[in-house]
Amino acid sequence: MSKPVEKRIPRGLDQPIGERLFQHVVLLVPLAGLALFFLYPLAIVVWRSFQQRDGAVGVGNYREILALDHLWGVVSNSLVMSGLTALISVSLGLVIAYALNRTKMPLRWLVSLALILPLLAPSLVQALGLIFMFGRNGLVTYLTGIEMQIYGLPGLVIANSMYALPQAVMIMAVALRHADRRQYDAALVLGASPWRRFVDITLPALRFGILSAAFVCFTVTITDFGNAAVIGGNYRVLASEIYAQVVGQMNFNMGAVVGILLLIPTLLAFYLEKVAAQRGGTGEGAIPVEPDRWAPRDIPLWLAAHLTALFLIAIVAVVVFASFVQLWPYKMSLTLKNYNITTQGGYDPLWTSLYASLITAAFGTLMLFALVLAQRKMPRSSARLVYLLAIIPVGVPGLVLGLSYVLSFNVKPVFPGILYGSVLLIAFCNFYHYHSQGFLTMVTGIRNVPKQLEETVTTIGGGTWASLRDAIIPIMVPTLISVFFFLFMRGMVTLSAVIFLITPKLSVGAVSVMRLDQAGSSTQAAAFSVLIMLTVLVAMGLLRAILRLQEAFPKRGAWH
Amino acid sequence: MTLDIRGLSKFYGTWQALKEIDLSVGESEFVCLLGPSGCGKTTLLRVVAGLESFEGGEMTLGGRDLATIGARDRGFGIVFQSYSLFPQMTAAQNIGYGLKLRKRPQAEISARVEELLALVGLEEFAGRLPWQLSGGQQQRVAIARALAVEPALLLLDEPLSALDARVRAGLRSEIRQMQKRLGIPTIMVTHDQEEALTMADKVVCMSAGRIEQIGSPADIYTRPATRFVADFVGSSTLLPEERAAGFGIVPPAGQSGRLFALRPEDVLVRPDATGPGRVRSITFLGNVSRVEIDWQGDVILAETHRLPDFTEGAPVTLSLQPGAGVWVAP
Repeated sequence: MSKPVEKRIPRGLDQPIGERLFQHVVLLVPLAGLALFFLYPLAIVVWRSFQQRDGAVGVGNYREILALDHLWGVVSNSLVMSGLTALISVSLGLVIAYALNRTKMPLRWLVSLALILPLLAPSLVQALGLIFMFGRNGLVTYLTGIEMQIYGLPGLVIANSMYALPQAVMIMAVALRHADRRQYDAALVLGASPWRRFVDITLPALRFGILSAAFVCFTVTITDFGNAAVIGGNYRVLASEIYAQVVGQMNFNMGAVVGILLLIPTLLAFYLEKVAAQRGGTGEGAIPVEPDRWAPRDIPLWLAAHLTALFLIAIVAVVVFASFVQLWPYKMSLTLKNYNITTQGGYDPLWTSLYASLITAAFGTLMLFALVLAQRKMPRSSARLVYLLAIIPVGVPGLVLGLSYVLSFNVKPVFPGILYGSVLLIAFCNFYHYHSQGFLTMVTGIRNVPKQLEETVTTIGGGTWASLRDAIIPIMVPTLISVFFFLFMRGMVTLSAVIFLITPKLSVGAVSVMRLDQAGSSTQAAAFSVLIMLTVLVAMGLLRAILRLQEAFPKRGAWH
Repeated sequence: MTLDIRGLSKFYGTWQALKEIDLSVGESEFVCLLGPSGCGKTTLLRVVAGLESFEGGEMTLGGRDLATIGARDRGFGIVFQSYSLFPQMTAAQNIGYGLKLRKRPQAEISARVEELLALVGLEEFAGRLPWQLSGGQQQRVAIARALAVEPALLLLDEPLSALDARVRAGLRSEIRQMQKRLGIPTIMVTHDQEEALTMADKVVCMSAGRIEQIGSPADIYTRPATRFVADFVGSSTLLPEERAAGFGIVPPAGQSGRLFALRPEDVLVRPDATGPGRVRSITFLGNVSRVEIDWQGDVILAETHRLPDFTEGAPVTLSLQPGAGVWVAP
């Protein structure tokens, strides 16, 4: 048996040169993109954080930053703010996800609609709405004379919770939908009370969903810039600190240090979530759990869900209303003059946003599609590596990514420098910011393409192109459309990454809203947000229409 | 054309999935690869198709070395368990797909599709999309699609396993008759021994990446060569030499250390108050009853065609049909 190990040469898998070339292109182009527009800028941030003022390389910046008295306050402020936000969004999110999926709640559409609203607009619109309601010149303050302390921590937590809530609901709803009815039936037969069934079956199944939702809420808010700028007041958080260091004091290296500090909590949360997710497993072929009625549980749940929904709707409604008001809240006569925006670049930023988002969507969809195509044909170990690389961006806060772009691309006259100040760079930044979410959707989509369908094409005599055209793309169309619109919509509303990329000549919609508000024309900021929301709403409507059209030609055979 | 496989080996890393496979598939021969899951039968089929590589040995078709020809260019037809039809194409478009890839004139494609739809009895379903067809109909379309390009070799990967019992039995004989009529050499993978025994000219019994035995269905059943085959195809009681001697049977000269494989239908059970056997259990299977008997420390399987005239726990005596049993390698 102990034959000397000889080199084994695999034979019989003769791939035409064109196919191998295609395989290389679909792998290397997206990887080059990731390297140039994600890994390289991040490396620059790390490098710059070690570059001291005196030109030497060392931990001087860190020492300096850590010695700042107020820094520890800022760090703990950020942690408290995001921790509270995660707590509120996850608990409310659980209530709403449960009410939507497991109870026969009346007016479900109202709650579903309310949950879409925060996705339509830049996060700071929540803050804007809160200020219109409860701020110094807020409606409630004006009418009742009671001034609530909305600026600072309370306003930040409420605004960020509203922004994060839909994402928390989505994650936990997925976990709830994966449950198997048979488990509940078995428990019922064994005599378990509804409460016991919830504690023994629902909660354990939700563990990873809850953890994952908490992670997402924490990450998207600890670095959120818009709300901090609009409603944060004197409550300083890391996001405003990094902005002050870089834009205020032009202290790029210090900004880099704060950026690295921001990376720590998110990467930690990201890692914890990944470890936890590996232990979770969803059963295949589960029978969905039917919603039922149980008044003692339903009534408080419905109340909480509907009150939250009403609040979400009210805040957006007040922004829309304010956009038509003469002088909030003193002169409430209606007007269109707020839509006549001439300062801060007028409507140019909106068009820039639209243009950049279309590039983000088209380029991103293409890159992600290529990447999953390549990944599918790779050996498991290297496929896993690509997967890991593709999902790392989710752990990098937008603000840090934006900063990394300034540090890497705002240089003259070498190659990357020519991109600075261009729409293209904004588009790339937004794409790599949302790379992971798009990638995961794409991976789920390509899993629906049976490998044997491709093998059938090959055996019949078709090449890569035939396989793409006849086996992969027809089944992937809904996924491709969804990823395209996801990237487009995120591109339209994101602020924290692009805040560093705008120049006096080039700005985007979300930045305009912030600038208009800071310039004191909050009703014009409201008008601008309404237009952004409308654009995204139109995109969303298009997405639904196209997907419905797709389904009108049913293609769903016995695929698994 | 004959497919010849000599000493073929396949590795996944250090793990050997196929060990020194020798097999030939003659012109118009129907060969079944039979074995439990994980025995390498599907891997072998995929290697033949060119969907997997192999590291050792040779594989030729009509004298041409297949190692240098990719799956695209081998001109084989393949049918999977999961139908794998193009969901966006009608039955007719699915069947004509291979011809379209070969850029044949439209008129020729239509004629050929028509012919194949008739062959699989789906003339009225030409315009249906896959999801509008039943499982059996989808699989027929898949077979027609594989046959459309007049493949040099037809490969069937558990084509009937996803269908329900009645459809399966019907399609089984249909496939066999079609294959006989067209004379296409065919390899089918299955884990269902009944399927293999009823359809194949030649059954290849595989276990743990190795071929255990090749033979006609009758050969495989009546003259299993190894303990694995005796056990996997039908059921057998395996007795060591000294136990077989109890029935007055001795191994042929020069063959020692072998096992005596005894088919249950060759064992006759007779109630006998002083008999040395005890009925351990009786399982009623409809046309036969299966009886387990405690016999001098062994459990021997028997079958009765009538309802047994004894009950569980009854004392019985056993005898063998003339010529019963074979000696197999342990």
